[in-house]
Amino acid sequence: MNDQNNNVLEFKDVWKIYQMGDEKINALAGVNLNIQKGSFTSIMGPSGSGKSTLLHVGGILDMPTKGTLLMNGKDTSTLSGKEQATFRRNEIGFVFQRFNLMPQLSALENVLLPMIKPDLEKAKELLDKMGLEGKHNKRPSQLSGGEQQRVSIARALINNPSLILADEPTGELDTKNAEVIMGILHDLNKKEGVTIIIVTHNPLAAEFTDEIIEMRDGNII
Amino acid sequence: MGINSLSFKNLRRRKLRSILTMLGVVIGVTALVVLVGLTTGMTNYMKESTTNIMGDVMIMNSTGGGTIMSQSGSSFLSPEAVDELRNMSQLYNIKEEVQFFTEFNGTSIYIVGTSDWSQVEINGTPGVVISPTVEAMGYKIGDKITIEDQEFTITGTISEGAMGMGVLVLDTDKALPLNDNKPTSLTANTRGDPEVIKDEVENTVDGITVSTKSDMSKQIDDMMSGLTLFIGGIASIALLVGVISIINIMLVNVTERTREIGVLKAIGFTSREVLGSILLEAALIGFIGGVVGLIIAAILLQIAIMLFGSQIGDIQLVQMLPVWLIAGVLGGATGLSVLAGLYPAWRASRLNAVEALRNE
Repeated sequence: MNDQNNNVLEFKDVWKIYQMGDEKINALAGVNLNIQKGSFTSIMGPSGSGKSTLLHVGGILDMPTKGTLLMNGKDTSTLSGKEQATFRRNEIGFVFQRFNLMPQLSALENVLLPMIKPDLEKAKELLDKMGLEGKHNKRPSQLSGGEQQRVSIARALINNPSLILADEPTGELDTKNAEVIMGILHDLNKKEGVTIIIVTHNPLAAEFTDEIIEMRDGNII
Repeated sequence: MGINSLSFKNLRRRKLRSILTMLGVVIGVTALVVLVGLTTGMTNYMKESTTNIMGDVMIMNSTGGGTIMSQSGSSFLSPEAVDELRNMSQLYNIKEEVQFFTEFNGTSIYIVGTSDWSQVEINGTPGVVISPTVEAMGYKIGDKITIEDQEFTITGTISEGAMGMGVLVLDTDKALPLNDNKPTSLTANTRGDPEVIKDEVENTVDGITVSTKSDMSKQIDDMMSGLTLFIGGIASIALLVGVISIINIMLVNVTERTREIGVLKAIGFTSREVLGSILLEAALIGFIGGVVGLIIAAILLQIAIMLFGSQIGDIQLVQMLPVWLIAGVLGGATGLSVLAGLYPAWRASRLNAVEALRNE
């Protein structure tokens, strides 16, 4: 089987070790994991089990201490800082628990921010698709939590990434809004084939995904 | 939507903070430009007023020192030298000037012989003109005044610029006999390059010094450049203080925006792009502060011209604000601000994206 054609992400014995005073903490302890193209996966587990670290390493925000991470078949450890940034810009879309929109920019400007050549029409189209018609020029502070998260999903999608990484995307939302956000992610995966990984504590959110991965003490169980 | 437009928006985000930071630069630039502008204006004015009246060359007795500051001294050109000079074909439009002190009513009076009355601000008519100090001694227009046993009828009074001295201004041909026909200096136009003719004249006639316009400008520059440097140095301290406050504020900004910087990195901006955006923000503070400072300085200089212009003569704002000063101050304020932004920008670019995102 030629897995390079099917796997967006491949973790091969990935370790992430933090030094906390005299103590060494294995945030990731030899993770082996394949994320297939078009899959919709949730990672669950208690706090400190390493799920956020897995997401950060998968998003090339953090480099493994040991082991190899392949993205679309390419070994990411050989990438320069600039190449890592380019990978993040083009291949990965991040969605955060606390939305992390730029407060000084409008919804539309936030969506355009990751684009090198701003495509206004595409950004407007994405915002409309997220149900934000008429709110393009609102600042994040003028939007509800659910609306802000929809803006951040539009921002994550703007460069057509191969992968969406969402860290507790429903963590700051009430049940109704959480369902709307998970519904959007579900549709993106099913209708447009976007590969999505979410980290969540919320079983209701995990129910929307096709596969649930449990983590304990830096490894998958 | 580039990262650089964020720099502009970030300035607007904390308006009061940005304005207060700029204020330091504004004060520094204003102080620098007003002080340097005033000395530069003085220099230009002195150059223009000396070179305007002198023709191409000015000829003086070589023991008189040959500098414009010593031309009121006691050395004069001999009548023989004047005759020789008048016979030189290279020189034309020769005008004699004479200035000397003499005894008058038990005190000293400065006699000025002029051939160009437009250089003197007077009430009344040209001819025999006295300064307010002489007026205070009881003389008025129409009175007789006796200098060196010669009697003159006063025709006017100096309205400006006598600086409290007893001065009597006469036509040169009336003033010369009072000084045994010895002029202080000769001005002339030259047929050919003044620098070449200067050497010819100095080699032909003994005991004289010839100054060209560029000699004069150089003397004034030499005299004023030290002063400009000193004043500029002191005013630069004000600008430096303003720039140091930029370091402080940019560090606060970067710390406050730790999380945003993490997001910028997560969505694909490189460390270098983050560094550039912080530097741009610092540069904007410097540049905008510089522009505002220049505008305030120009207004203050214009007010100074309106208040004091009549005493120092016809001076223009453009003489006080030469292009090199404007460009230098804007470039300097912007460049120093970029330097001030370097450390905060470097700190921002070094931020670990994961740590930054975790920042609450």
